[in-house]
Amino acid sequence: MSLKDKYAIVGIGYTPQGRVPGRTALSFSLEACVNAISDAGLKKEDIDGLISYRYFQPGQGELPITPYRIASRLGIAPNYLSQDGN
Amino acid sequence: MGLCKYVIVVYADNALSSGRRFDYAEGDNAVFGNFGLAGNYAMAAQRAMHTFDTGPDTWKEIAIAQRKWAQLNPRAMMYNKPMDSESYYQSRWVTEPFRLPDCCLLSDGGRAYIVTTVERARDLKNPPAVIMGMGQHNPSSYIQQSTHFTGSTGAKKAGQIAFDMAGINVDDVDACQIYDCFTYTVEITLQDYGFFGPGEGEAWFKDGKTAPGGSLPVNTSGGLLSEAYFMGLTPLCEGVMQITGRCGDRQLGPKTNTKEPEIILCNDNGGVLQTHTAIVLRRF
Repeated sequence: MSLKDKYAIVGIGYTPQGRVPGRTALSFSLEACVNAISDAGLKKEDIDGLISYRYFQPGQGELPITPYRIASRLGIAPNYLSQDGN
Repeated sequence: MGLCKYVIVVYADNALSSGRRFDYAEGDNAVFGNFGLAGNYAMAAQRAMHTFDTGPDTWKEIAIAQRKWAQLNPRAMMYNKPMDSESYYQSRWVTEPFRLPDCCLLSDGGRAYIVTTVERARDLKNPPAVIMGMGQHNPSSYIQQSTHFTGSTGAKKAGQIAFDMAGINVDDVDACQIYDCFTYTVEITLQDYGFFGPGEGEAWFKDGKTAPGGSLPVNTSGGLLSEAYFMGLTPLCEGVMQITGRCGDRQLGPKTNTKEPEIILCNDNGGVLQTHTAIVLRRF
């Protein structure tokens, strides 16, 4: 069964970018998610899958970014949470 | 019936302000003077100079074209920082054969996108970017264990699978958003997709083919080299914004003297040319 023309990307979330000191990686994750949800015209409760793309060790003094942490800080409980990447 | 209706994919990092480094050596590599990702990609690029007769004369075209796109994108880290051929050649070596403008940026910030069905997409705020085809291929473990450093990379099979699913070939592609950790990565990826034959890169890229006004725009946000580094989300999100006509001054079409895009090819590549995903987007 082909996936052709069945799915679409419907929202993009940007954040300030470049050199933006004094912020955690998690804070950028949350801002990007909030902006993507708003760009799509959705409510956060609509999101029932969350994939945190790839993984790096967190900076000094920061906790690792996990899909669960992103979801819980967003205040959502998706059916599907995954850490993934190509 | 799937598990989810709306899936969000997010990548973010504070790579620049937290001082993240990528020049670590794995295993015995340090003994041989190979420190990290730039060293590994440089090795593949060095071999490609021999095999495909490529090199900085080709790669500067890629770096300069993307820098030109960045001048149209106020978000880009290299906005207001133009670069010509002379300043490319005057840039310092990072690791031969790569100069500084051959290497991607480190960035603070993040990017996210949302996927749903085309059916649900109809009712949402913005026009959707329809996923016409996709393919993955992950051909090797470590570049040091590759039989051939120059590939084929995963782009060859992943691209073919994506093209077959979409029912298109390279001639149908109006623009590309290609994962560009290094300039050479753009060349080998487009070569393995079949845009030009092995060794034809220099002739293909010259005269601004991929720059604003060119016949095949590539990395229209500035890409990882000149916009910001958010892994595969930099190229994919730019593909979405372009195909939905939301790119402002850098919008493909009359504004940039380029073809209005019906089909955009995007990709991500991981490890050292080891993993590959190709995605074909079309206008709704």
